[in-house]
Amino acid sequence: MNFEGWYPLLLVADVGPKKAVGTRVQGKEFVLWRDSHGSTHVWEDRCPHRGMKMSLGFVRGDHIACLYHGWEYDRGGQCQYIPAHPDLDVPQTIKIPRYPVIEAGSIVWACFQEPDSELPPFLELPSPSCGFKSIFADCPASRVAELIEKTPFNGVAPKVTAKSDRVLEIVLEGGTLTAAVQDVCEGHMAMHMSFDRFKASADQIPYSIWADQLRRDLETAARDIKTSEFAA
Amino acid sequence: MKRESVIFTFSGQFVVDSFLAFARHRAARLDMPLAILSSDETAISLAVEGQVDLVDAFEMACSLGPHDCIVLEAESSTATPELFEHRNERMNQ
Repeated sequence: MNFEGWYPLLLVADVGPKKAVGTRVQGKEFVLWRDSHGSTHVWEDRCPHRGMKMSLGFVRGDHIACLYHGWEYDRGGQCQYIPAHPDLDVPQTIKIPRYPVIEAGSIVWACFQEPDSELPPFLELPSPSCGFKSIFADCPASRVAELIEKTPFNGVAPKVTAKSDRVLEIVLEGGTLTAAVQDVCEGHMAMHMSFDRFKASADQIPYSIWADQLRRDLETAARDIKTSEFAA
Repeated sequence: MKRESVIFTFSGQFVVDSFLAFARHRAARLDMPLAILSSDETAISLAVEGQVDLVDAFEMACSLGPHDCIVLEAESSTATPELFEHRNERMNQ
């Protein structure tokens, strides 16, 4: 599996205090969790003990505990406590792989290779308060940019510009969205959207309705593409 | 926690390379030195040294073994540190 650069995972607002959330990038599973200091962590979503997903576990202060047998890991991914063996000096080898993470704009990003010296092109992203909505669709991430324009907003086709291979700018009537596209796995994508400036909740409603329609349209288009490719 | 050195002899049906790779991985995960004393398709003898609970965990893991091996019986005996160190030295040569 080839990872390159920084990947969008979630809207900042969607990983709350002391919460753990699971996600996937190119089919590989990761857990995001936020400790009591507010720092976000991205790790492999697997307890080294029995392989349970850590995203099903519990955040306890600066530790996250596995749901299955309660093994507790500190912020560095190191297992510090095994409830069934309270007197054990836990070996340093019992550790969960962790990855560089950064919150930029309204998005949590992670890097799954050696950290790039250059930060991703997200420095001009909207602030966290502008985070809008994430949609998840059964549609290849590589086809999203071309399909968005087929879902009109107020009767007008959106104007889509690729800011990078993972960031799109979507101009709609009355508002511009920045969309970070996540390649969840083959045939599945997520898109984490933010407004270019703060928009009150009530004003977001028509855009939310459009986003729901977009998700349905993406899935319909992806099914049609798959059918036509199969027929060919 | 108290430490111990133990020789385990597992009997059954083994794909030797598979079982030894499994044992090495588990010993590394538990941060325990491992010495392989003997191995064939019907019995494999290993020595490990570490905290008592970790040695128990190693025995449990190896008793289950990898999918292509069947462990029918596991016996243990106390290893002398000298034997263990000697075997490690030999493995590292």
